[in-house]
Amino acid sequence: MATATETGVKKNFLTGLKEAIAEEMESNPNLICMGEDIGALGGAFGVTDGLIARWGRERVIDMPISEAAIVGVAAGLCLNGKSVMVEMQFIDFISCGFDQIVNMTATYHYRTAGEVNMPMVIRGPAGAYGGGALYHSQMNEAWFANSPGIKIIVPSTPYDAKGMMKAALRNPDPVLVYEIKDLYRRRDLEEVLPEEDYIVPLGKASVRREGDDLTIVTYGQNVYHCLEAAKNLEKEGYHVEVIDLRSLVPLDEATIIESLKKTNRLLVVNEAPMTCGFAGEVLSRMSEKAFEYLDAPPARITRLDTPVPWVKPLELFVLPSVEQITEKALKLIKY
Amino acid sequence: MATTKTDPDQRHNEGREPAKLASDLLTADDYHELLKQLYMARYFDVRLIKEKKRGRLRGTLYSSHNQEGIIVGALYGLRPTDWISPIHRDMPAFFMKDFRSGWDNPERVGMTIEEVCGQVWGKVTSPGRARDNWSHIGSRAKKIIHSTSMLAGTIPAAVGVTLADRLNGLDSVAVTFNGEGSTAQGVFHEAINFAAVEKLPVITIIENNQWAYGTPTHYEYSLEDFARRADGFGIPGLVADGQDVLDVYNKVCQAVEFSRAGNGPSIVECKTFRSYGHGDHDDDRAEKYRPEEEVEEGRKRDPIAIMKKIMVEKGFLSPAEAAKFPAEGKGASEVTDEDFPPEVVAYLNRGVESAVNAPVPEAHEGGMWVFREEN
Ligand SMILES: Cc1ncc(C[n+]2csc(CCOP(=O)(O)OP(=O)(O)O)c2C)c(N)n1
Ligand SMILES: [Mg+2]
Repeated sequence: MATATETGVKKNFLTGLKEAIAEEMESNPNLICMGEDIGALGGAFGVTDGLIARWGRERVIDMPISEAAIVGVAAGLCLNGKSVMVEMQFIDFISCGFDQIVNMTATYHYRTAGEVNMPMVIRGPAGAYGGGALYHSQMNEAWFANSPGIKIIVPSTPYDAKGMMKAALRNPDPVLVYEIKDLYRRRDLEEVLPEEDYIVPLGKASVRREGDDLTIVTYGQNVYHCLEAAKNLEKEGYHVEVIDLRSLVPLDEATIIESLKKTNRLLVVNEAPMTCGFAGEVLSRMSEKAFEYLDAPPARITRLDTPVPWVKPLELFVLPSVEQITEKALKLIKY
Repeated sequence: MATTKTDPDQRHNEGREPAKLASDLLTADDYHELLKQLYMARYFDVRLIKEKKRGRLRGTLYSSHNQEGIIVGALYGLRPTDWISPIHRDMPAFFMKDFRSGWDNPERVGMTIEEVCGQVWGKVTSPGRARDNWSHIGSRAKKIIHSTSMLAGTIPAAVGVTLADRLNGLDSVAVTFNGEGSTAQGVFHEAINFAAVEKLPVITIIENNQWAYGTPTHYEYSLEDFARRADGFGIPGLVADGQDVLDVYNKVCQAVEFSRAGNGPSIVECKTFRSYGHGDHDDDRAEKYRPEEEVEEGRKRDPIAIMKKIMVEKGFLSPAEAAKFPAEGKGASEVTDEDFPPEVVAYLNRGVESAVNAPVPEAHEGGMWVFREEN
């Protein structure tokens, strides 16, 4: 996908993120990083490793364990002309800063009639399947998708991780980045990244696999579950199209609708719980806008409406699986 | 009320002579200006109460009656380039910011009376085009942090703007206004703690009016002087008599000087009393929780009366002059325009007239400005 040079070194997802932030810090002297343990430690997962050595505490600020103040102070910095990258140590803890995100930051441009914008990226490790249990596994993007004024992205490849992070850091609006921590160091995803500066624009989905029997819309690490299911189905002679949304807000409806014109069948997969989840949003929008192209009832596979339990069998029980996706896909194709 | 058992100023004074009072440097003109500003804040409040009663305004009015000494005294201690973060009860602060540079000085770093009235009337002349109500306005250019409903919610932003200013080599300070009730919010502690760690120039003013809606202070916190909360942050906590505009001015100047010298934040507790119900919706039922005697007692120390008394003692005002414009001690239903200096009335009339004549924003604006960059 990338215009990668043949000779380059392959890099993982985390390196893509790291490079994006470091390069933007270099090119934008107004950019400030804030978060817990992001200085000498380099963040819990190492995404900010090396930043403090290069730019010092003036621009890389180790914050007290105060998620609300971190976001709120960042809002003040943005109000006064800075751009800020905020790290949530885990995206689960974002709830402690919720009010400052949805009521303070997300509304700023709206309530000031465009006077003040908030160039703020809030990013953090997210997602289940890794045994993180209730408070280190969440995908809580729906809370924020339901709060106007915040853009939300969920990259799934090293190329996108770097290009979308750079786009987010240059965006004039608040952008929430769900970094799937189980993808951070996955060897099989490593790829050569372009030497030159590039961005992946927000709001554009990516067709990860083409097919004309069924459209699966997904994002995050479920992309890989869906691609595996598609491979299984290929063996049985079915061609499944897999769309990686990458960006939830704004949502690339056009790419989904174009696909549905061809496949006439829709399955949406996400690892967040079902009720009022983003999968439901995709379903309802497509029911409204692409109903006439559909030959089967659109369906979704999500986490059960439960928290994410700790031990493996329980965790896998509540989350979407390749088997579930394959089975449901077949049903839709044969409908 | 003005005094406190622990010396609130001790941290400032450690190892040096007690600071000269900032007010010692004020001239007779300053005193007259401060008095006029007290009248202005009072008139704005009582006039809006009347307009509201006439049915000309929507939304809830949170009266600043009897608390004007805090707004006027604090603002008088600031430079034009300093930031403020007013809340629901500080409506006059939006247009009185930097009044010291001249009420009609076009260079003044504060909102105009037309803008603030435009906001109250919900017109296009509002700085936020009337997208949120009443005190929920602000201005980056005027260095007024846009207030929201979330109590204590803008303190972190005040910390953030000073951090940005410091990075840019500026020594401006930020003054946040807060009711004592809002201090129980987590974000209050988170923000001040970080300001203390970073030694950021943020002055937290507590307008301690003894009540948070229907809840008295002894259900809000367990301290005699709220200012002692500062000890837990390792920062100074000062106590001021909120009814004495000069005492507020002195304490705020002291805090500002401390901050500007790079010593970090402080808390200034200003003791005052809320004259009316929490908001005008609460006026008729506040007696459910607040005894009438307490209200009578609390209203006795009118900041206008106190300032006049001081000015007479200093010889800046003759007793006959002090008797002019007797707005002090009167409620909104008792005062008339004759109780105020005519220039004060004229100033507000200008704002009201402009607001009444301005159009309401067009309906489709409700769908605008969610994002700066729409995809
Ligand atoms: C976070 C939050 N909770 C509750 C409210 C509702 N509320 C508005 S004002 C108020 C009382 C505030 O009391 P205080 O901080 O002492 O300020 P005062 O009104 O006395 O000036 C309450 C409970 C709010 N605006 N924000
Ligand atoms: Mg109060």
